[in-house]
Amino acid sequence: MHINYVRGFKENRLGRLGIIFLALILSIAFLAPVLTAYSPRQVSENILQPPSQKHWLGTNDLGQDIWSRVIFGARTSFITALSVGILTVTLAVFIGCSAALLRGIYERFVLRLIDIFLIIPNILLLLLTAAYLRPGPVTMVIVLSIFNWPGCARIIRAQTLTLQEKSHIKAAKTFGAGTFYILVKHIIPDLGPILASSFIAHARRAVFMEAGLAFLGISDPLLISWGTIINRALQYSYLNNWYWLLPPALGLSLTVMAFSFLGYTLEEILNPRLKVGKNAGD
Amino acid sequence: MLEIKDLTITYGRNTVIKELNLTVPKGDVLAVIGESGAGKTTLALSLMGLCPGNVEGQIIYQGVDFLSLPEPQRRLLRWNKVSMVFQDLNRSFNPVMTVLEQIMEPMLEHELLSRKEAQKKAYYLLNKVGLAPVKGQMYPHQLSGGEKQRALIAMALTNDPEVLILDEPTAALDGLTKAKICELLKEVFSEKTVVLVTHDLSTAYQLANRVAVLYQGRIMELGLTKDILKNPRHPYTRGLVRSFPTLDATKDLQGIPGFGIEKQEGCVFANICTQRIADCTKIIPKLEKRGEREIACLRGGVVNLLKVEDLTKVYSGVTALKGVSLDIEEGETVAVVGESGSGKTTLALCLMGLEKANQGSIYFQGEKIVKWNKEFYQKVQMIFQNPQDCISHRLNVLETVCEPLVIQKLGTPEERIHKAKKALRDVELPDEDEFLNRYAHHLSGGELQRLAIARALVLEPKLLIADEPTSALDASIQAKIMRLIMDLQEKRGLSILFITHDLALARKVSDRVFVLKDGQVVERGLSTQIFSLPQHPYTRKLLQATANFSDF
Repeated sequence: MHINYVRGFKENRLGRLGIIFLALILSIAFLAPVLTAYSPRQVSENILQPPSQKHWLGTNDLGQDIWSRVIFGARTSFITALSVGILTVTLAVFIGCSAALLRGIYERFVLRLIDIFLIIPNILLLLLTAAYLRPGPVTMVIVLSIFNWPGCARIIRAQTLTLQEKSHIKAAKTFGAGTFYILVKHIIPDLGPILASSFIAHARRAVFMEAGLAFLGISDPLLISWGTIINRALQYSYLNNWYWLLPPALGLSLTVMAFSFLGYTLEEILNPRLKVGKNAGD
Repeated sequence: MLEIKDLTITYGRNTVIKELNLTVPKGDVLAVIGESGAGKTTLALSLMGLCPGNVEGQIIYQGVDFLSLPEPQRRLLRWNKVSMVFQDLNRSFNPVMTVLEQIMEPMLEHELLSRKEAQKKAYYLLNKVGLAPVKGQMYPHQLSGGEKQRALIAMALTNDPEVLILDEPTAALDGLTKAKICELLKEVFSEKTVVLVTHDLSTAYQLANRVAVLYQGRIMELGLTKDILKNPRHPYTRGLVRSFPTLDATKDLQGIPGFGIEKQEGCVFANICTQRIADCTKIIPKLEKRGEREIACLRGGVVNLLKVEDLTKVYSGVTALKGVSLDIEEGETVAVVGESGSGKTTLALCLMGLEKANQGSIYFQGEKIVKWNKEFYQKVQMIFQNPQDCISHRLNVLETVCEPLVIQKLGTPEERIHKAKKALRDVELPDEDEFLNRYAHHLSGGELQRLAIARALVLEPKLLIADEPTSALDASIQAKIMRLIMDLQEKRGLSILFITHDLALARKVSDRVFVLKDGQVVERGLSTQIFSLPQHPYTRKLLQATANFSDF
């Protein structure tokens, strides 16, 4: 089966929407220094100001410009999402493929380990670990990835086992190809769709988790994150500060939605039976 | 008794017969077979001392070296001791003499009999060869071809020679006449020493008890007629037999690839032999005894390529293969037939090392295969059952064909492209850039299968395991692809293990057949035998269910 991703996304409404959202947030994150005159960390005497010409979304309790903090927060969100996505998928490919290719005791060990991870409630463990480690941005990415890989690795192992039975991979073996060649040239490229959807799913989850942990005050307090902004805003909610609370929440929703839409679209492209009003194979 | 020792005959610079040694005992009929230009007629003429070339060596009749004799003494022997039936019917007669006169001529010439006795004997001979007395009064042009041939035989018999040499006695005759002449010759041959020169293998089969296969003036194989023609062991003889149409042959006609170079060192067949090794172009092989026969080949004749002994494979309780043994020779097609589920594909997978057999051993070129490594895969390739699956959807045509070369790390990228294009041309696919950039899903079923074959052939393997290579194709494309594979067999000496459920197809392409049922070989043998006289009830059942247009 050969898939035309570009066409698939173009033809799908949710797909187009997802891409637009993602492009919007990405460009805001990328152009953050241009879009504001203030540094997000700059403390001033003008505290708790409502929106004005000078400060579009007002200022917080430390006199920092909220608009600046929101758009710089997008950067944190994105970098975490990308890093966690990449790290999780890499870990999962490494562990899942090696389990499927090497088989034996190693595979059984990996499978039990995955079971253990899946049985224990993730959030709880994550909270405890994060609370204990007090993670900076790098540690945060690592911790999130470590709790995310098992589900993905399980799928990848299963898919690798299936792929190994495919004739074209058997054919490659009959040309004398070694395990490494088959892994790099055939299995990983064939895993492409699964890797892409896993990446999107885990990136989405990472955005949410990072904001959540920051909201709970478990992450680095100096990090500019949508979670921290919301936390702060809630403490001053008696001021009726919608301008402070809403924008980071909106950014968060938009990002999660963007990733979700991309995920749905990808699923639909890869599984033609999900297409509404169209026959499979159209 | 006729003995030929170190006979070398040259025409100018051209050596036609090279150090030839042959012994024909009394009462023996030896057929010398070979293509035209092999030196057959030169050999026959030299036995009569009539060869115009430069003749060296010895031709000994009953202890006398014929070649060392001066011409007058040779003439005494000629027609008295040795006589010949010449090749060209029309030019062997004197057009202005009657047939009877010509039969009488040798007797009168040697002054053995009076004219009257000679005439009597001539009539006797005419009767013996089945010609009416009235034919004796006729001139050669008044006789038909078969009658001329009979007259020629009568002429050869006049002085009752001990040694008879026949040069293509049946070449220009139709089937029925040929059969009659053969009957006659069988009677005539009794107690005589006969050298029969022919390119007609069926004549040789009927008349001769021994056969010498001549190629470029050297004997390639020598032995009993039945052995050699039914089971040729020299690659040249095999080519010769494969190109000869007979009623019981089931495989399609194949020939001998290309032409030999006349002047070369080593074996004369080396440059077109598909199983040559480096020594073949350096060392001249001697005719050596191999069992019942003698073969001039450094490799001892056709070599065994793959041997499987007692192969057993069990899949979680289900026995797919039960002690399967088979062997494949160089340049041979072995068909493995059986219904689906009989273990055919499992056999292929075990041979390719994709499944591990529980028991048994596999030998390739005499060596036991323990580890399936790159070298093995360079020589053994497989065509998978379903071309749609076995070609990755992410690779275009060029990448697909180059993949084996890339994995084997053979050649530079340019050389790989060159080889890939050649492989594509071999399977009659285009090698233009537009086609090279296409993907598997852009190709038709036939093109895909040909692409899969090109990919398997790009490494130039010695053995091709083809698992139902044409089961997904329509008959016309199947025909094209099978012709292609057989051409490659002829050109490269490719051995093929052809796995199929289609017996009609197996019959057309295979030399030998193995019938597989529930993982066991229930019948094995030459295709000619299995398809005409199946022994096992299962084979008969399979044959009954095979495609045919007959009404019975």
